Amino acid sequence: MTARKSLLKVILLGDGGVGKSSIMNRYVTNKFDAHLFHTIGVEFLNKTLEVDGSQVTLQIWDTAGQERFRSLRTPFYRGSDCCLLTFSVDDNQSFLNLSNWKKEFIYYADVKEPENFPFVVLGNKVDVTERQVSAEEARMWCQENGDYPYFETSAKDATNVAVAFEEAVHRALAADDKADHLIPTDTVKLHRKPRSATACCS
Amino acid sequence: MAELLKVIFEHEGIFLHPSPDEGGPEQDLLVSGTLRVLEKDAEILVEYRPLEDSVDPSNMLCAGQDSSSVVEWAQCPGEKSQSRQQLETQQSYETEWDMVNAISFRKKNCTNGEGSLNHSQERSRWAFSVNISDLKSITVKDEGWTFLILKLKDAFSSLPALHFHQGGSKDFLDCLRRFALLTECPEDKTCLMVSTPNRALSQSFENLLDDNNFGLVHKFKRDPYVATLGSFSKVTNYIYDALRGAEEQQQRPPEEVADLLGEVIPGLEINQQEEPGFEVITRIDLGARPRVSRAEPLSADDWSKHQDPEGRMKDEATLRQKIFKGGLCHAVRKEAWKFLLGYYPWSSTLEERKSVLKAKTDEYFRMKLQWKSISEEQERRNSRLRDYRSLIEKDVNRTDRTNRFYEGLNNPGLTLLHDILMTYCMYDFDLGYVQGMSDLLSPILYVMENEVDAFWCFVSFMDQMHQNFEEQMQGMKTQLIQLSTLLRLLDLAFWNYLESQESGYLYFCFRWLLIRFKRELSFQDVLRLWEVMWTGLPCQNFHLLICCAILDSEKQKIMEENYGFNEILKHINELAMKLDVEEILQKAEGICLQIHSCKDLPHSISSILGFDAKRQVPNQAGLGGAPRPAPQQDACSNGHCRESRPQNSCRGVSTS
Ligand SMILES: Nc1nc2c(ncn2[C@@H]2O[C@H](COP(=O)(O)OP(=O)(O)O)[C@@H](O)[C@H]2O)c(=O)[nH]1
Ligand SMILES: [Mg+2]
Repeated sequence: MTARKSLLKVILLGDGGVGKSSIMNRYVTNKFDAHLFHTIGVEFLNKTLEVDGSQVTLQIWDTAGQERFRSLRTPFYRGSDCCLLTFSVDDNQSFLNLSNWKKEFIYYADVKEPENFPFVVLGNKVDVTERQVSAEEARMWCQENGDYPYFETSAKDATNVAVAFEEAVHRALAADDKADHLIPTDTVKLHRKPRSATACCS
Repeated sequence: MAELLKVIFEHEGIFLHPSPDEGGPEQDLLVSGTLRVLEKDAEILVEYRPLEDSVDPSNMLCAGQDSSSVVEWAQCPGEKSQSRQQLETQQSYETEWDMVNAISFRKKNCTNGEGSLNHSQERSRWAFSVNISDLKSITVKDEGWTFLILKLKDAFSSLPALHFHQGGSKDFLDCLRRFALLTECPEDKTCLMVSTPNRALSQSFENLLDDNNFGLVHKFKRDPYVATLGSFSKVTNYIYDALRGAEEQQQRPPEEVADLLGEVIPGLEINQQEEPGFEVITRIDLGARPRVSRAEPLSADDWSKHQDPEGRMKDEATLRQKIFKGGLCHAVRKEAWKFLLGYYPWSSTLEERKSVLKAKTDEYFRMKLQWKSISEEQERRNSRLRDYRSLIEKDVNRTDRTNRFYEGLNNPGLTLLHDILMTYCMYDFDLGYVQGMSDLLSPILYVMENEVDAFWCFVSFMDQMHQNFEEQMQGMKTQLIQLSTLLRLLDLAFWNYLESQESGYLYFCFRWLLIRFKRELSFQDVLRLWEVMWTGLPCQNFHLLICCAILDSEKQKIMEENYGFNEILKHINELAMKLDVEEILQKAEGICLQIHSCKDLPHSISSILGFDAKRQVPNQAGLGGAPRPAPQQDACSNGHCRESRPQNSCRGVSTS
């Protein structure tokens, strides 16, 4: 078994306005900025945390949701260790779009075994009183789509944000350990890009 | 590094005749597809791809309107070609994969997985891609049509025979001859042995030694054939790679990301896949960068001195020049911006402007009424309008909310922002609302403090920025290519460094370019920068030189800290609000003068900056007057690689 990963790439996906950037900022800086701009392009923040006595750097990626920018967003899906599918509990459409986001992710991240990929689902803005999506509905979806962990978060009042990321880390590490067991080292090499097509000079 | 993909040869209607066991359940399967010879990352590949529908036409990727499949997402009606591109992107990962084995004929039938993925796997089952240097021989047979059997050096793998039912085999072989030696096998006249000589290896080393700015010549990690087909900068990559080698595993995701981005910005390939030595030709000695000074903003007094009694603006050129040099006092902006943006002609009288205003006001409210008067019922049937509205509502709430004009709840500024953007959707429904547009409108509305004026000034600004927001974002792609071209001229060492970190196509400048530095500077500085840019001085595409100026300031940090792909992106993103507008403008103007006074400027550069046209460069009388002869061959001024460059090799840097 190889050494555990020390850098994990986690990506937040979901409709525009569900609170992806706010969640990321809440987790990394523990602040909520009600004046935050909508995201343009691609951004990421790092956060280091300790897991089972060793340091893990979490690289959290956040993108802009609009259709038009898809082609410049999707390349960044590659190499993700975990995907946080995010909707807002006060926006039913954002909930309905979860499966689109999941598919887009699997497709462009080129996930080899989608069934085993660690997704975590976040229902954000639970501080809002006018809900359009119930917790049961959301849990049901998670169960039916691959038994994903579900968290009801609020970037505004910090509910469940850290917990959700910690779960993401554990899932990602578990998936990584599992992959190490299952895939012979040869296959791992296969995934690697041919840096040297035919070795010659050295 | 950016994906460099050039199609050298392409022929459709090449068939495979899989034997029944290979064909699986589909007996008598004939696979039809396209054969290509590609140059990709400076390697020559022979690639075969079945037609999308040759496996099963009913599997076409277009699902119904409200299917939730992701492929369908990519493929709204009328966007066929776009989604095809995306499919190709998908397939090319597999190609990469395949090259690991040197061969890649897929025999495994992939069954599970979800629908859309399944299709592409189904197709790619017959796809293959081989590096030309892995080919051992080609046997040419005839059965009323020609078919070719490609053999690989790796004896354990085989490729299916290629049947040229519609001709083309000779062209294909001729094409291969450009990159490999095909010699008849003495024992078998139908068999051509393939060998790929190591071309120009020594020359490439020369460049390396000569050009290496870092004194890091260690070792090639890579096939010299590949290295030498590539350009100098590629060679540099391998040196960096060698140094960072241990981290390869960690480095992989950014590298893949970069490859994919390179495919998304395809124009760049044209730029970069120039013949060997292209970079070298741009290494022209630029003289010292002149120091320039900035001036005070134009005062209200000054402005009114330029106005005649009827209200015409006199001496537009001088005015522009003054605005370029110092910007405007805030009090003048409301009026001056209308001229700068072309809402009012400089030569118009006050009377004329009144009637312009009247007509424009009518037109604005006519369009505003259009969306205002749509009933909920109607809107339910108009998904595009609904989507525009929902995006606008979300974004208006996230635009400049700390500015007093837009802060707090129920601020009238927010309503205006919303209404103008909605009306713009009616003005240009095809474009509608795209994220980023609220950023472009906000400063204009802030200055105009008037709905109608702000709308029309925004329309003018959008005329300049339109391409950035279009479906294919062609404007963004073009600008990234142009920027890359400029940066390479200005600072080859830095450009090479970025290339070596997979960042040569400058994706990290995306936000700068999309909304003209709106998020990078303080609100007040944005106003200054924009009015300076709107003067059209001192050259065309001055904003690209502003990018160069900022990058120039960050270069040292980026290179000293040895930032990789992710770190560069992060570093650039985090420059926001830390930049000094006057400093940037000063530097950018200096760069402009520096390039302008350079002899033997490649045509690609002078056409980006508009130096071919007669233009006066401020404060440098005599410099800008004469049109510069467009250098063709002589652009290769440093004489490095002239012989390896075919005649037309100076072209191809995309300009607009
Ligand atoms: N009430 C509430 N509002 C939130 C929460 N998270 C984000 N928002 C607001 O929702 C809007 C969209 O958030 P943003 O992070 O920009 O969404 P993104 O487009 O997914 O990145 C902003 O106005 C945020 O202030 C939350 O947990 N509760
Ligand atoms: Mg965001």
